[in-house]
Formats: sequence, structure tokens, C-alpha cells
Amino acid sequence: MKMKKRLLAYIALLGALVFSQCRQLDLEPKGIMGEPELFGTEYGVKMYFTGLYNWLPIEDFQYYANDGYRKNDWATEKNSQGAMSGEYFNTWISVDNDGFGYWPYDRIREVNNFIQSFPNYKDKFPDETFNKLMGEAHFLRAYFYFGMAKRYGGVPIVTEVQDPLASSEVLNVSRNTEYDTWKFIHDDLQFAIDNMLSDTKETGRANKYVAAALMSRAMLYAGSVAKYTESLGFKATELATQQGLAGMEPSQANEFFEYAVAAGKVVETGPYSLYNKLEDKATNFARLFLDDSSPETIFLKEYNRNSPRGNALQHNYDALMSPAPDMSSFVGAESFVPLDFMELYDMPAYTNPDGTPVRFDSRGDIRDGMEPRARGTMYLDGDELRGKTFSIQRGIYRTFDGVATDIQRGVNSAPINSNGNRILGGKGWTTEINGVTYTITGAHGNFEDQGGENNAFGSAFIRKYINPDMATADVRDWRSDQSWVVFRLGEVYLNTAEALYELGQREEAFDYIAKIRERAGAKVVRPAIDMTMTNVGSINKANYTYSLEKSLQFIRDERQRELYAENHWWWDIRRWRTADQILNNFRQRLLSCYYVADEGKYIYLDEDNRFNRQWNASKSCYYEPIPWGEIGKNNNLLPQNPLY
Amino acid sequence: MKKLIIYSILGVMLLSVTSCYKADNWDAPSARIHGRVIDSYTGENLLSSQNDWSIRIWERSWTASEPTNQNLPVKQDGSYNNSKLFAGTYDMLPYGGPFWPVTDTAKNVVFNGTTEQDFTVTPYLQLLDFETSLDGLNLTMKCRLKAPIRTGLPNLVEIKPFLSLTTFCGAGANSNIDIGEYSNKRIQINKSWQDEVGDSETSNVYTIGPLPVKAGYTYYVRLGANVNDANRKYNYTEIVRVDVPR
Repeated sequence: MKMKKRLLAYIALLGALVFSQCRQLDLEPKGIMGEPELFGTEYGVKMYFTGLYNWLPIEDFQYYANDGYRKNDWATEKNSQGAMSGEYFNTWISVDNDGFGYWPYDRIREVNNFIQSFPNYKDKFPDETFNKLMGEAHFLRAYFYFGMAKRYGGVPIVTEVQDPLASSEVLNVSRNTEYDTWKFIHDDLQFAIDNMLSDTKETGRANKYVAAALMSRAMLYAGSVAKYTESLGFKATELATQQGLAGMEPSQANEFFEYAVAAGKVVETGPYSLYNKLEDKATNFARLFLDDSSPETIFLKEYNRNSPRGNALQHNYDALMSPAPDMSSFVGAESFVPLDFMELYDMPAYTNPDGTPVRFDSRGDIRDGMEPRARGTMYLDGDELRGKTFSIQRGIYRTFDGVATDIQRGVNSAPINSNGNRILGGKGWTTEINGVTYTITGAHGNFEDQGGENNAFGSAFIRKYINPDMATADVRDWRSDQSWVVFRLGEVYLNTAEALYELGQREEAFDYIAKIRERAGAKVVRPAIDMTMTNVGSINKANYTYSLEKSLQFIRDERQRELYAENHWWWDIRRWRTADQILNNFRQRLLSCYYVADEGKYIYLDEDNRFNRQWNASKSCYYEPIPWGEIGKNNNLLPQNPLY
Repeated sequence: MKKLIIYSILGVMLLSVTSCYKADNWDAPSARIHGRVIDSYTGENLLSSQNDWSIRIWERSWTASEPTNQNLPVKQDGSYNNSKLFAGTYDMLPYGGPFWPVTDTAKNVVFNGTTEQDFTVTPYLQLLDFETSLDGLNLTMKCRLKAPIRTGLPNLVEIKPFLSLTTFCGAGANSNIDIGEYSNKRIQINKSWQDEVGDSETSNVYTIGPLPVKAGYTYYVRLGANVNDANRKYNYTEIVRVDVPR
């Protein structure tokens, strides 16, 4: 009896406890930050923006050519955009017109959410801070739209936070025209420039000048699209072009070029100057990408090898761009500089006027007379990295009695290459000629018995962005953390120069080109303006479908000289609408070094690549298709982009 | 007891097997559409290549959403054929080939059983007087270009040789021999017809080669020429068989 009573009492107590707790479950959880915490303080806003910064469409080390941003994959640097666009030999990726369905409306919704709700907290901030943060949000939104506009042309402009329960008529938005999309990007960035401050202390975070630098890049893209899309001939058959969704009119180009120039002028009012800290111009150019305190840098994407792996804030650039085992302790280099791109720079003559190859006393002599900027961009034989010296040679000629073209682009069947006169070999192979033993190849290539890795096809490895201060043992996967320079003054100068030239202000354009070339150490700092028309480009002697002044082609080449391996080239040949002609059976040429045994000298020869690889692009590459899955959800996104 | 266990195991196994069998509630697509793409100048099938271009079809009997196009590839002989389509009504349009854009879409073609639908297209270019000549191990090809319609003709892009070791030969053919020795011999024009040829309807003879070939091999060869329209596909010569003596 007593037992029973006690039991009942316990049950009653338990019941009371259980029910009393129900009321407390309604509490706000303390571990989750809501809008008041995030939007009510400057620090909270910064936290909110951090996630958005992480996902900005920046083509950096971890951009996988056909597969997206922040890939966090060890092989990303091998499968870079440069490998796809023909900037590098050897990893061979073809142009995938479908892209990877970039469609960042989730991020845009986060920005819109901020822009819509932040005014509710206006009284918590001084006006200046409120405006600055509002400007920053517009900068972020413009960046996401830029990532889409350069891929798709016109996309739906969504500026409000959509209610997921709204009717499908409201949710199924239509595409805006390409012109309106670029104008929207301009307006957002203009708002950002007008409202943000000129405080540049926080690297990796936008300010007024960062917004202006993005404006400079984006508006140049828009101007080129407007001017050159006509040359593609889409208008005759393509509904999307007829409706202005993919393509603009040449008459709309100047407006955008003027915006680009104006944005460049805003950047120039900032505390920036071309990097010129070191006496040696080649090393100076190479250091510019490694010095986080560079006065040339406008905006950085920072990496940190000590952060948790899940944050994707490390990369493998050094491990995948330097040859193993001497300079990398990982799989090593697989990207080499083709002759086509080396030729853009000042190069020493390697062929005499009579057609015979120039005889060099040592392999490294090829560096003499080469533009310092080229040497800051690539490593050649004789250069040092991490305590080792690059050593690159393809083979040996017993004797070379003839002209350079006798090699018939390097085929085995050429008489001069036959009957054992040309000796090629594998890694470490030797040969004996008249009692003397020679190693056939260099220590870092070119090996006939090896594939692409650590095998210098041609004569150069990449130097740009390589961090020489790492010890070889440390050069492994996920150990690199140099920052990616998103915007730098050099690029803005080039943007301004090109836009000015397109606007007919030729001399002013070359004022900027001269600044760039002086820092580069080029022989001719300011070439004379040549207004002769041509339709032949430099790389692959491409036949453009339109003509341009030779000096404009020079400015385009100057971009590539300065910005090689910075993931601009692909977007440039796209906006110039020349990609399908440049990558038209683009069979990269390689500069190969041989030892001539009977003379004891070295020669350099222009050959075709051994794998006979070629790069191609079709006209479909200028617009990616609007992701088919999105069209399945929303038919208002039709018509699809041209040629799909 | 043992029997019971065995029977129940057997029963479960039987069930698990029979559950795999389930008739689809929808018949397999079995409508066939086929036909020819006819060159309006010759009345013959358009000289084409595998994988070069296709006929777009939109199923109009599907009304749940805006249909996206399906593609029926056109074969080397200028015909097309697909026997695994759902019966229904379709719009059809030859698209993206080396001919003046076709604007009149064939509307509401009924696919049911076997349907034949031919199209007539007007090529941008004709390649005439195709000749091949073999000098030892060097092959040379010649042709002339003809452009019956020159008003609004996009710029000429190039004339390119195609060689193959199978009977499939052309830009889209998998067996196309794609090496520098051949593609570097293409003639890049990139000029308007007026600038390249002048007022005449037919060009002078273009000579492409010498192209190195191997002794004892049989090649199938042709030339292609294209204009700078949106698709830049080639108009071709016929395919010629070249036997290289040993």
C-alpha cells in the first residue's frame, strides 16, 4: 500500500515535469544567430557577407575548367582553364560548351535578403557605415550577375526575395535582355562605388576601388560583346539573338567602353601603383604575385594552409606546376608554355637570317635577350627553384648540317632526323658518340618514354604564382596558400587602354600600354600606332571574321603578355568572338633544345607537339546553354541560347 | 518444422523473383520517321558527313510544358532514320547544316507507324570538278567553288581536305585522320565571295596538297568548304577512293 502510493507520487511528479517543459520548448535557440544579430551589428554583417565572398565567381587556383568554382579537388590545377583554352601544353581538356550550369540565384537571394531587410536596422549604424555595407551588398550581387552574364548573356534580373509559395506566374521569371543585364551590373557597381569608402585596409574585402575594378573588367566585356557579336552571324537564325537575349548591337558598344574607362579612372584615384619594388625586372614581375603588400593589388582572395581542410582554403599550385621530384614532392608539373605564347614576348633570335639555327654555347643562353616579364612568367633552362637548376633538353643531333625547316616540324621521317642522326631518349638514357658518353635529355625533360607529368614539352615551366620560398619537401597537395590576385592595377590599365582604343583615343590608350611595358622591361616601350587593318591574329595566325587595326591587335597581345596564366585569356578570346578561329585546329608549337654533338653547341628548333594534340572551339562556345534543368522548371527561360 | 522453414524460404525467394516482373504501363516508342535531305541544285541527297548536323523535332502532342527539341542526326548519305520515337505530332526543321536557313518548319507531322518526310535545302556552296591525283606518296586534290546565291552569302572561311581509312569521311566522321600534315594544308580564306572570287558564280581551281599518304593503304578522301554562318559546317565533294600502290 505504501509502495503503491509512492509509485503514484513518482508518476505524478514525472508527469508534472514532462508537461512543464513543453512551455520552454518555445524559446529562441541561443546557438543560432538570427537577423537582428547579423544585420544589427557591423560584425554580424561581415559574417553574413563572408559566406558570399567565399562563393564569388573568381577563376582562381581552384577553378576547374569545365567543372566549377572552389572545386577542392587535388587535380584542379592540372585541369585548369588554361589547359582547356590552349594556354598550356599538356593536360588536354576540350572546350565543354555546356559548362557546369552556373546558376547562383541562391547566393543572389541571400544578397537580396540583406538589401531588403537591412534598412530596418538603419538606426543602429552611422550613415556612412550603413551606406558602405549597402554598397558592399550591391558589389557582391553584381559579381554574381557578372559570372552569369559572361556565360549566358541575358539572365532574369531578380532583385527581391521571392516567396516560395507565390504563384507560378510570379516565380517563373523571364530572361532580361543581355543589354539590360549588363546595365544592371553597371548600376549595381555604380551604387557600390558611390556608397563604399576608400578605406583599403581590409584586404580580401571590397571597397570603392574594388567595385570600380570589377566595373572596368565587366564593362569591357560588355562593350566587346556588343561590338563583335554581329560577326558571329547568329541573327539570321537564332531566336535568342533576335530577341536580344544573347547578343547586343554594335551601336551599344561605346556606352560600355565609356563606362570601362570611367571605372578605370576611379581606380586610379586610389592608393595603387605598379609593383616596382625590386631592381631585377624579371624577379620583380614574379614577386608581384606573391607579395600580399603589393601596392598593385586591388583585391585578393586569400588562402591559409592552417585552416581546416573543409574550408577549401588551400591549393596545390606549387605541387602541380613544378617538376617532381626535384622541385615538387607530389605528382608534379603537367603544364608547359607553348612556343606560340613565348613568341608574343621579345625573344632572342634562334634562327639566323640564312635559315640555319643559331648556335648557343649553353642551353640557358636562350634567356639572353628575352623580355624580363617573360622570364618572370616562366622558368627556363638554367633558372633555379628550391635549390635546383632547371635542365631541359629534347635530344642530340650528331651533326646538324642544314636549315631549321629541314626538320619538317620534327617528324622522324625527315632526312635530317633519320638514320640515327637525331637521338631521342627516355629519362636518364645515355648514348655514346665517338667515345664520349652523353645524357640524351635534360633532367626535367623531354623524355620519350614518359607521359605528360614532369616532362618539359617545349622549353619552359610556369613561374607565375610559384612560391620559391617553400622547401621541396613541403611542396605537396594542399600545402600552398599564396593569395590569388583577383584585381590588380596592371589589368585595369590594360582594360582602360583597350576601351580607349576602341573609342578611337589611340594615343591615350598607348600611354597606359607604355606604363605596362616599361615595368615589363620590354625593348620598345611605346610602339608607333599602326592603323593598318588586318584580320589575322597572333596566336595560331587565326583568321578573324572581322578586321581590326594592327595596334588594337597589339593591345590584345599585350594583355596576354601581361596576364598569361591568370585565367583571362579564355574570357578574352570569347568576348572578342575570336575563340572559334584561334582554337581552329590550334596545334601548339613547342620550342625544343638539342645538343649538336660534332660542334659542342646547342640549337633551338620550332616543332609540333609529340602527341599531335590540337584545340578546337565552335561558335557554340560564346554562350553556354541556360541550364536545361532550370528550363524544365521554368519554360519562361526559353528561347534557349544560340545553337543549342 | 524443417519443411516449414524450407517452404517459407522457397516462398520468399519466389516472391522476390516475381516482384522483378512488372509490365510497364507505357508502350516502348516504336514510331519510325525517315527521309532524305535533298540538295535543291542537284535533286540528289545533300552531300554530308556523319555527326555534322541534325534535324530538330519538337513533339507538339506533348502539352504539359514547352517541348525542347530532339535531334535526328543526318547521315553521310544525306538521309536520316529513327525508329524509336513516340507516336504523336511533331514539328520538324533541318537545322545547323551547310545550307541557307530553312524558315518554314514542317508543322504537325504525324508520326505513327512509319512516316517518310523529305526536306529540300539550298546549300551555300557547291564543290565542282573534284579531282585527285597521286604522285608517288603525295596526294593532291582540286576543286572549284560555286555559289549560285551570292547576295547575303556569309564570308568564305576555308577549304579543307578530309582523309579517312574507312568509307566514312568528313569533319564529323570518327575515322577522319586529324593530323597537322593534312589540316595545315587547308586553304584559309576568310573573305567575302566578292573579294575572293569576284563577280563570277564559279571560282578558279583550288589545289590542296601535297598530302603525304602511306604505301599500300586505301584512302577515302574529299574536300569541304564552309562559310561563316552560325554553324560553319562544310559543303562537301563526293567521296573518292584512292588506292596507294605498294
